[in-house]
Amino acid sequence: MQEATFLILTALADGSQHGYGIINEVSDISQGRVRLRAGTLYTALDRLKADRLIDMDREEIVDNRLRRYYRITPEGGQRLAAEAARLQANARAALQRLNPALGVI
Amino acid sequence: MTDWSPIGESFSISDRASSSAQLERAYRRLVLCYPRSFRRENTEEIIAVLLATARADQRRPSLAEVADLLRGAARMRLGLSSCPRTVLHAVRLMYLGALVEVVTLVTLLLSVGSIRAATRAAALRGVAPHATHAVTQQVLAKVASTVSVVILVDVVVTSVAIAGWLVLAWANGKGSPLARVGAIIACAFYTATTIQGLTLGDEAYAPAAPLAASITVMAIGIAAVVLLVAKQSWPYYASHATAT
Repeated sequence: MQEATFLILTALADGSQHGYGIINEVSDISQGRVRLRAGTLYTALDRLKADRLIDMDREEIVDNRLRRYYRITPEGGQRLAAEAARLQANARAALQRLNPALGVI
Repeated sequence: MTDWSPIGESFSISDRASSSAQLERAYRRLVLCYPRSFRRENTEEIIAVLLATARADQRRPSLAEVADLLRGAARMRLGLSSCPRTVLHAVRLMYLGALVEVVTLVTLLLSVGSIRAATRAAALRGVAPHATHAVTQQVLAKVASTVSVVILVDVVVTSVAIAGWLVLAWANGKGSPLARVGAIIACAFYTATTIQGLTLGDEAYAPAAPLAASITVMAIGIAAVVLLVAKQSWPYYASHATAT
């Protein structure tokens, strides 16, 4: 799973979000490291919809602008959980090996 | 900003309004690059996101925004954003197949001279040592024309194969069920002819390079077809079959 995909699913994990909301959440989650651009975001959303990992939730009009909210599907939740577990296992292994050998941590 | 007079302020507000309208028009022009199906569903939404992420004083799309939108539009037009991962990888493999064929074609064209020289040398060895000059010339002319025909056929076949790969990649990316059937038939045909060529010891496979290319292309084709008929690919083709 690509990092942008992982971060978008994470942004949607605890509730639905609209496009601009996802960009802000992803920026927060990645501590400002990942600023999604609109083209990248909508390509990723299109993908995730096709893979049935997300779904459209509802639409709102705010200041004459359309806000479309997306939510994660149960399948998306499973995929995200599996990916998070994989990353966690890798990170734990890396930290364990670094710790005694180099005194990094 | 030192001018706090009401007139100055109203000027700056209308200034900002016009620059934002100008920016919105520019974004809308860029979004026109996206496929119609995407625009129908998502134009207002993506415009709202673009305007929300724009700087307050921005008048035109930044270079990075233009590149990002054009890349997104290209991926969607190739059908690569909305197809499942299996189909996406299959389509990428097909473009790779086209690339291998292009390399084969270029290699063939570059080695025309050495092929001619080699066949000429082989033909001269085959001519009886006491043959007259006229007979030798006749044999060489015959060999040369045969080689030309073989090379021409090879160039045509390879060009058709390149076109075939590209069309199949494009149409499968779009989810055409017919394209999937086409890919399966093309792959079966190619595999059969390659294996037949191998078992018959076809002279076309005598040099190692075309043999390696054929096997590579065959492997790419089989891998692509396996991905196309994978369980995850079916809903994509099914949805396009009912849509058309």
